[in-house]
Order: sequence, then C-alpha cells, then structure tokens
Amino acid sequence: MRAELGPADQGVAIHCAKALTVDGEDRIFAPATILVKNNKIVYVGARATPPQGYEVLDASGLWASPGMVELHSHIHSGGFGDTNDMVVPINCDFRAMTALRPGNPLIRRACAGGVTTLYGIPGSGTSMSGFGLIYKSKVDATFEECVVAEVGGLKVAQSYNPERGAGDLGQTRAGLSWILEDAADRAKTLRASGVEDLAHENLGKVMTRELPVLIHCAGSDGFAAAARMWQVKYGTRCVLSHGCFDAHATAPYIVGAGAPVNAGPRTVDVFSTRDGRITGTAAKYLAAGAKDLSLNTDSPVMPQEELFLQGAMSARYGADDYLMLRGCTIAPARVFGLDDRVGSLEVGKDADIVLHNGSPLDPRARVERVYIDGVLQYDRQRDGQWF
Amino acid sequence: MKKMKLHTTIALVAAISAPTFAGETMAIRVGRAETVTKGVIEHAVILVEDGKIVVVGEDLPVERGIPVLDRPEWTVVPGFVNCYSRLGCDSEGGDDNSPDVMTSDELWPKAAAYKEVVTYGVTTLGLYPAGNGISGQAVAVRPLGDTVEEMLLKDGSYVKIAMRSDSPSKRRISDAFKKIAEYDEKVAKAREKFDKDKKGGSKKEEKPEEKKAFDPAQDAKPEEKDAKKDDGFVPPDADAKLRPWLEMRVGAKRGLVTLGTAADYLHFMDALGTNEFAYDLRLVLQRESDLWYVLDKKTYELDVDGIGDKKLRCVVEPLLTVTQGTMRTRNLPHELHRAGAKVVFIPRNDSLPDHKAWLPHVGEVVNAGLPSDVALRAMTLEAAEVLGVADRVGSIEKGKDANLVFLTGSPFEATSKIAAVMLDGEFVHGEVNQ
Amino acid sequence: MRLSTIAACVAVVFCTSTFVAAPAWAQDPAPAAGETKSDKKTEDKWVALTGGDIYTGTGEMLRGATILGKNGKIEAIGYDLEIPKDAKVHKVDGMRVYPGLVAISSQGLLGNAGGEFDDTIDPFNSRMVLGLAAGITTTGAGSAAVKLKRFTVDGAVVNERLYSVFSWSGRNPRTKSELREKFAEAARYVREFREWERKVKEQKDLPEPKKSGVDGTVLSVLRGETLAKFNASDRDDLLGIARLAQEYGFRPVIEGCQEGWTVADELGRAGARVILTARDRRSKDEQQVAAGGTSIENAAILHKSGCMVSVTPPTEGVDLGGLEGRDIRMLTIEAGFAVRGGLPDKAGLEAITIVPARIMGISHRVGSLEVGKDFDVLVTDGDILHYKTYVQWAFVDGRMAYDKEKELFYAHIRPRPQAELKVDAGETPRGDAPKEGETKEEKPEDKKDDKPDDKPEEKPEEKKDEKKEDKKD
Repeated sequence: MRAELGPADQGVAIHCAKALTVDGEDRIFAPATILVKNNKIVYVGARATPPQGYEVLDASGLWASPGMVELHSHIHSGGFGDTNDMVVPINCDFRAMTALRPGNPLIRRACAGGVTTLYGIPGSGTSMSGFGLIYKSKVDATFEECVVAEVGGLKVAQSYNPERGAGDLGQTRAGLSWILEDAADRAKTLRASGVEDLAHENLGKVMTRELPVLIHCAGSDGFAAAARMWQVKYGTRCVLSHGCFDAHATAPYIVGAGAPVNAGPRTVDVFSTRDGRITGTAAKYLAAGAKDLSLNTDSPVMPQEELFLQGAMSARYGADDYLMLRGCTIAPARVFGLDDRVGSLEVGKDADIVLHNGSPLDPRARVERVYIDGVLQYDRQRDGQWF
Repeated sequence: MKKMKLHTTIALVAAISAPTFAGETMAIRVGRAETVTKGVIEHAVILVEDGKIVVVGEDLPVERGIPVLDRPEWTVVPGFVNCYSRLGCDSEGGDDNSPDVMTSDELWPKAAAYKEVVTYGVTTLGLYPAGNGISGQAVAVRPLGDTVEEMLLKDGSYVKIAMRSDSPSKRRISDAFKKIAEYDEKVAKAREKFDKDKKGGSKKEEKPEEKKAFDPAQDAKPEEKDAKKDDGFVPPDADAKLRPWLEMRVGAKRGLVTLGTAADYLHFMDALGTNEFAYDLRLVLQRESDLWYVLDKKTYELDVDGIGDKKLRCVVEPLLTVTQGTMRTRNLPHELHRAGAKVVFIPRNDSLPDHKAWLPHVGEVVNAGLPSDVALRAMTLEAAEVLGVADRVGSIEKGKDANLVFLTGSPFEATSKIAAVMLDGEFVHGEVNQ
Repeated sequence: MRLSTIAACVAVVFCTSTFVAAPAWAQDPAPAAGETKSDKKTEDKWVALTGGDIYTGTGEMLRGATILGKNGKIEAIGYDLEIPKDAKVHKVDGMRVYPGLVAISSQGLLGNAGGEFDDTIDPFNSRMVLGLAAGITTTGAGSAAVKLKRFTVDGAVVNERLYSVFSWSGRNPRTKSELREKFAEAARYVREFREWERKVKEQKDLPEPKKSGVDGTVLSVLRGETLAKFNASDRDDLLGIARLAQEYGFRPVIEGCQEGWTVADELGRAGARVILTARDRRSKDEQQVAAGGTSIENAAILHKSGCMVSVTPPTEGVDLGGLEGRDIRMLTIEAGFAVRGGLPDKAGLEAITIVPARIMGISHRVGSLEVGKDFDVLVTDGDILHYKTYVQWAFVDGRMAYDKEKELFYAHIRPRPQAELKVDAGETPRGDAPKEGETKEEKPEDKKDDKPDDKPEEKPEEKKDEKKEDKKD
C-alpha cells in the first residue's frame, strides 16, 4: 500500500467530520480520513485507521475541502501596482513572475481564506499584458518553493480597459482586435516556420495550445468577441474572465462555442436586463449549460480571501451551492490544466487541504487549518485568526 | 410684480384665405361632430352666430340665405385647450409664497407663438406664473388678439402650488390654513361686534369703507348678492396673499398642485390634513413615474384616499411610462382614468413642436388603451374646467364660443390632419371654400 | 394688468355657529371636486403569523408558534392563542420568524430624504424595498432612527436625536485637550449645581451657579440626555476615549473601532457601545510595538469584554454595481463575518437587532420580538444569517411592507411554492389593454380551468414581455 511510510517519509492523517472531495464522482465522505504522505494525498475516504508512523490530527468537528484555485488575481506583488507597462499595447514577452513577493500579506490572508493556488497576472491596461505565473499561497516560502509554473498562461485584455486614449492605435474595438490578431498571427506564422523569436516564443505556445490564455472581457460585446477570436478562430485554450454587466446575455453563444467562463468579480447584474430583477450571472451561465464555470475575485478588487463569498453570492442568486464550490476549486483547475495537481481531494494530488468548522461557502464558518503540499501553512489556534 | 414684455418681435401673420363671418351667421355641415358633452353627432350641422354656437344637431335644415360650409368629409371637435403653458411669457418668478401674482401682468399679445399654436388647433391657453412654491395665478386667454383685453378669457384662474417632499412645501400649505383660521377668528369677532352694534342701533359707518377695502371674487353669483343685502355685514379685509386661499377654500377659485412622485402626493395630503380646498393636480410624468402607487387607497392600503378615489382632475403629458427599473410599459393616463380620476392632457413639452404633435402624442396613449372620448375630453372640456372657463369653451354646445377644430378624419387616427381651425366664429387657419 | 371688476358684495351662510355674511371667498367651505372625508372608525387591526418557528431575538425559540399583532404592536407570542376573526392571518409553517433588523446606519433607504424625515421620506422608493428585502425595518439615518414604512409618510421617525458627535482622533492634540477641558468645565458645573441644589433648600437666596462658558452639548452628555459618539479606530485614540469616558462617567459610542480588539478591556470598562465592520482591513502600523491593525475577531473580543457590539457592512448605501456581498443589503453577511471571528451566533443576530436598537435608544420599540413592542417581524425561509436565506415577508408596525413574490428584485430566485409573480394591474402590454366597454371579466372559475393550481402563473407573463422586447430590437 502506498500509504505505508518509509523511513524518510512524512505522514499526516486527518480525521474529519466531512470530506468534500469535489472529485469526478463528487464524493463526500462523512466522517472521513485523509492521509498525506510527503506532499501528496495518498488516501481520502471513509474513516480509517492510518498505518504506523502517521501524525494523527483529530479534526472530527471540521470539514475538509480542497484548497481553492483563483484564476484572476493581482496580489502576487502585494497589491495594486506592478500590473501594467502602459507604453505599447503588446507585451507578450513580459512575465509577471518577476513581480512575485512570496508570502506577502495579501498572499498570507488568501491562504487563511483557503485559497491555495493562484494565477497571478498583469493588469488589463494593455491588449497583451504578459504571462502570468501559477503559484501557491505558502505563507513563508521562497520563489522556488511556491511557484508551480513561471509561465502559467497569457493574459489578454479584449476590451473595457486596454483602449488607448492618446490617439494612437487601439482607440477603438477594431483597432484593439487588429492589435491582438496581428500579434497572434505573427506568432503563429513564426512558430509554423520554425523561426526562433524570443519575443513570440510563449505566444506561439498559446497558439499551439501548449499554454492557456485568460482573457479579460466584460460586457456582451467584448465577451462574444473574445470567444469568437480565441475559441472559434484560433482554437486556443482560452478562459473568458469577468463576463460581467450584460455579458450573461451572450451565455448561450459562449457556451455553444465551447469557451469556458471564469465569472467575477461582479456576481450580479441589475441594469442590463431592464426587467427589474437582480440577475445572478453564474446562474445564467449554468442555465445556458456552461461546464466548468469558475469564479474569480479579480483581487484586490474583491479581497482574495473572499473567493468563497463569490460562490456564496452566486448561490444566493440562484446557482447551485455545490457547483459553486466546484467553481472555486476543480473547475478553474481543469480549464487551466492544473487538475492533475490541484482542485480536488484525490489520491495522487497535491495535499492542499483546508479545514473549516462548517461549509466552505458560509462566511460564518472559519478556516481552522490550511495545508499546502502537505505542510501546515496556517493554524488558527497556533497563529491567531488571520481571517 | 412681473415685468411687461419689452423686447419686440415681428409677429407672424397667419394667412387666412377663407372668408370670415364675424358678427354674422353661418352654418357648418360636417360628416361628424364629436361634441364632448352631447356625444357624437353624425351629419352634424352647427349654426354659428356672433362667434357663438347657437344650434348643434343632426341633419338640421338651414334657413335660406345663411351661408353654408359643407364638408361631409370632415370631423369637427372642440378647439383644444392647453391649460398649462408658459408660451409667450418670460418672467422668472420671485417669492416662493406669492399667490397674489397675476400672470396676466406679463401677457404680451404680440408673441409669435400664439399665432402658431392656433394652427395646431389650440384655441384656449392657460398661462401659469413662473417660479417655485406658490407662484401666483394663471390666466386663461384666447391666443389671438392685439391687446391684453382681447386675449383675456379669465384672469385669476388657478393658483399654481408646487408641492414637493420637503418641509417648506408642506409648511406653505399648513401656514395658509393657519392664516385662514386666524382670519376666521377675526371675522367671528367682527361679526359679534356687528351684531352687537346692530342690536344697539349703532350706525354702520365702516361698511362703505370696507366695501372698498377688498375685491371679492369677480364671478360672484347673483343669488349670493341677494343674500348679502339681507344682512349688511362685511367681513374685515384679508391680506392679498390670503384672499386666493379664501377663494380656493370655497371653490370660487381652484388651485393647481404640481406633484412629481407618489411621495409628494402623500406629503401633500399630510400637509393638508383635514383642511380642504378646491384644487386640481398637475402630475409631472417622468419615464419611471411611481404615481401609480397612489391611484387608489385600496391597492396599497394607503392612509388616505388615492387620486382616483378623490376623483381629482389630473393635468398630465400624453406619455407612456414604465415600471421603475424595467421595460414594462404603463399607461399612467389610462390608469388614472380607470381609477376614477379626470384626465387633462397638455402637450409633452411646452414647445411649439410639441403643440404641433399634441394630437398624435395623445393618439399614442389612445392606441395603448385610453378611450378616445376620454382623450378628447382631456384636451378640451377638462382643461377648460381647470381654467374655470368650461362655461365658455371646451365642448360643442349651444351658447359656447365657436372654437372648432376641423379634422380630415377621426381625431386620433394617424392619418387625420387639421384642416381648419375656427376661433370665436372666425376661421383662423385652413383653406375654407364654400 | 388685472381685471378689477368690483363685484357687488356677496353674502352667504358662513361656517361659524353664528350666521355671518361673507364675500364669495369666505363661503361655507364646501367639499371641492368629489373630495369626501371618510369616516375614520378606529377599529382594531389584528395580524397573526401562525405555525412559524419564532426566534424572538432574546435567545428563545418557539417552534410552530403564533405571533399576534394588534394595531401595530405585538399583542402575544405563544401557542393556542385566540386569534380574532377579523385578523389577517398568514400561515408560515416551516418558515422562521425573526425580529426586523436594525441597521445602525444606512444611506438611501428612505429615498432622497434628509433632515426632517417626516417631511421628506419617500415611502415608495425602490431602495426602501431593497432594505426591507434585506430584513431591515429600522435604520439609523444621520442622527435619527427611522422606520422603513412603506405607503405612508406617517410615524416613520422613532427617535429624532440619537447622538452628539465629538472628534477624538488624528494627530492634533489640541482638539483632544480642548474637548477634555470642555468635559472638565461641564463636570465642574454639574458638581456645583448639585451642591447648590442641596444647599438652596436652606439658603433660599443662594445664587444658581453660572452656566456661561459651559458647553451645552457636553453638559447634555454628562447629564445622560444624549450619547457622545466618536469616530475612531486607532488604538491610542480608543484608549483616550475610554479614559475620558471613565473619568467623566459616560458611555461612548465608537464607530470604526478597528483596533478596538487591542484595547478591549479598557473599552469594556468604559462601557463602550461599538459600531464596527467585521471585514474592515487595515494593516498594523509597523512603527508600533503593540498589537494593531484590524482583526476579524474584533467583534468577538469586544463582545467578550462587555462592549455592546453592532455591525455595519463595508458599504452603508445600496450598491447595485454587481460587486455583491458588501453593501447594506448584506447586513446579515456582515454579522456572519463577525460570527466567523468568534462572536456567538446569538450575539451575531443581536449585533443587527437589539444592540443597535439599544445604542439608538429605541430598544423599547424594536430589536426583538416581545409583547408590547412594535410588530416589526420578518418571515424567512431559513436561518437569517445564512447566505442563501431570503426574507419572504417583512412586516412593519403590523403591516406587510414586503413580499418577496410581489416585488421584482428577487421573486424569480427560488420562488415560493405556488407563488405567482403577477404583473401589476397597470402594466398592460401595448395593444392588450382591455378597451373600455369590453373589459374582460375574469371569473375565478375560468382561471382554474386554464391553469392547474400547482403551476406558477409566472410564465405566460414572462413570455409576453420577451416578445415585446424582441419587437423593439
């Protein structure tokens, strides 16, 4: 049995009241035991007696859930700032990883809120603002210890922010689209012809689906345009982020085109429908048949640690609670190709485990412990309550 | 007091090609007359003499020698009455509590607008005083005339009272009734003294003095005069700002209370309390008006009677509104009618293009459900009631001013056009050949 | 010019008891244009909610009980109550019944009202509906406590003067020392006055101590006539206020109070009444050695130290911009965050009910369900602090002020079984309006045939709307 510890192995056994695995079969074990060997989960299931050598944690009043995954976050540098170089619209050779301040206060609080994996990206001030990094919210770690992927994916801003006001190219949607397509086409051609071009190297990987791309697009026009360009035309592994305001009106088209939606930070729309109703946007995407709908905070627009509240609010406005838990965990992991490591409590995955004293979506239920890669990062009783 | 118009404008002279029959008798034979008060008359004949309507009926024989205008393709309706306008007026208003201000003081007969609105069928205008709060008294005019006297139909028409959800608005109303109460007390005391003096056989020296001292309602009824003679008591003089209130209290004058929101209505009712006076409402319709909340008492269990319960007359724009925050259309004029209120229409805006489009605009509300007879009444007789001139204009009936609008079809049909307009028996617009 | 027709004198019967001749405008006031006074027979108005689980807000819960209201007040709570025949009875089996929430502060729920709320309140504005939908039936507005009473402008104000606001913050020590002097001066006067009161019984000609130079507002605080309110969050300021309060014997109201948890004992000793936002975030001043910054545990720690704790959300107005969960409509969520920080559930509910009511001096009327208090009652479909719970009905002064299914905002979300969203009677889609004379009389029997009872009638209306919009596009 893989769960047996060797002499050099570290082992933790967590006995909890409930384990929300969020796995493919949506299994929930109550009561449950989770075994962590070194950095991975080696057992999750019904209450069991751990093999010899495991450090046993009795968390029998607590619920275990996978660490949450955030795809739209700007807190890697410790807050706003360090988001955009505003000189030229295309910065596809930029990397946000250089801005990372591991374990900065915002990251620490994110951890205490149960958010363990983040895609840290540049802002939306330019059309292609660079490549984001994927990192974990370890509270005290070096760059190497917390970074999952230095180049995690591209950040594109379709419209509603990259518009250039100085009269140069990119003042209109037409100009913005040309800028994006010009860069994308160039990268595609270069890659196809085998020409080495450092500036377009990573962009080329986006075009050949080696890297995902997160697209900032809000409002129905930008949302549909993004799906048309990045999903339909280029067939990239795109994720449409935001989808706020009236964008939910395009939900059937977006879903039909097969583009995954990463909704937030706005979770409701009041003004566009003009029917007097407060429309929950997540509910609208789900109703249109969206698969792997994920949620974001656009932190620090909404505090990173309140990612769960985006799920709670979406549920309040008509979306299913459990799907919203998926939207904060496995769904974003899947659409960004991280589901082999994070997003659910499954054997073989990174031991990113959050223990709450209640439902992970309930603001009243506090996070008691957070493990990342099997290592205890935050313990409310030991560290005091950070959030 | 208002400044008189000083600047000059070149007056447009409407070219009237038709013969006029002022001071004469003429008969008009049309396909249909919508009289407002006497129903619809097919094959109607209207006899006009000295600017007045003398006979209206179906297929009446016309005496030989009387000129006849025969237009079986036309429909005739009463001249339109816009009771709420500032056309041709330019004063800016002053004190927030000036019910004694007269709009007639700024009347300027040469304003070009008057000549133009006549061509759109408007034969009576009510001009209201500018300003906030209680800004003064309106004047009803015929929009043609070279002098103020020629234009004047009724001076000292309604008193304009602006009501908002604020303390000053409410205080103006409650203060007025406080003053009335004080005055009543004064009268009671004077009466007591008068009775005492009378008993004691004292002379009534003050009487002629007091008679001069105030100017009671001009349209006092004859029977009231008789009652007066019996006694000889004349109540003490009232303040100029109080007099209009005393008149409104007894219905000798009406107020026109402008409201914008449902809350304004409740605050108005609150300020009024158990006091009463004669008034109509000017409801300022906005796209998202919430006035439908106060149509009746029952629906939302109001503490007070709703606008419809009180059968109030409401001056509104011909406008369809929506429920707040939605695209759900409401026909507030129709809702007012259904609730029991009396609808009065005015053009959407006080501009000449909106006077021109007045009929089609009302047509939109009719198309959305308001009965057309109610709509026509709202443009004519009800508006005349607001101005206190319903005895003279607003319907086609015997004895009224011959203000007529001739249309090429039913009033609210999109294809109908104004063919001719008659004002006091004279054709003032349109090609009229006999 | 004016027409000055001198009318002959006119006389009619005048309204005073003696017959008096009067001019036209002084006639007997005749009712104008159809106005009639309705006879106001004051009959008792009864309302009853039966079968709900009643959470009184005082810590008790009565399962499947009845709450009875009479003329806007709570008449009885319990079982087997005799319900008068003419009572409006609402069966709320399976639902929960709570006291109306009290927002210690909010903006916009009363329309554009300000200052004299009796004269300016807008009881039809949509923000009031949103406030009631959030469970708020009473709110602090400026320095007044006002109820969210719909459809009436009468009796909304509960308390006109809540606090006197003082400044005790910032780096400028002068304002602090000046305030302290004012308190010293006022305290001296109070002492002298008491002394005089005592002595004047014997020495009748003893002059009353001079009041000049004594700050009237401070004096009213010391006399307990008004509450002193401070806006302060820094540890040092909070300590200063606590000391001032203890020295001069008053209980301060402190809004903000972000670093309160670091000096909770001091604030507790001063009997502080705290208004805080559980989610406030502020980092510690790095120069300071002592603990600082915000803590999610703030509410819990202050509560434990004996302070009265009320919570207010990050945004006190209505924000419909889409960033949900932070505005006044989510008052319960903010209480939830206080619970997250360790505040007991009961205190969490109290922080948005009885505690703010106490702070505003209106707890004799609102804040809990007790006999004699105002019938401000919520019916919810679950735990009121749960994020998915909706207020189904809200009653203010015994009158239904909100029904989730009858307002557009939330009616479409998890509609109540058999609930129907009816388009308002005035909303007749274009062309479909019944013309006069051909009014469609809807007979109840016909309706039943058309639509089975178990299906919500919402859908046909919706379709109509959609069609209409399509045409416009």
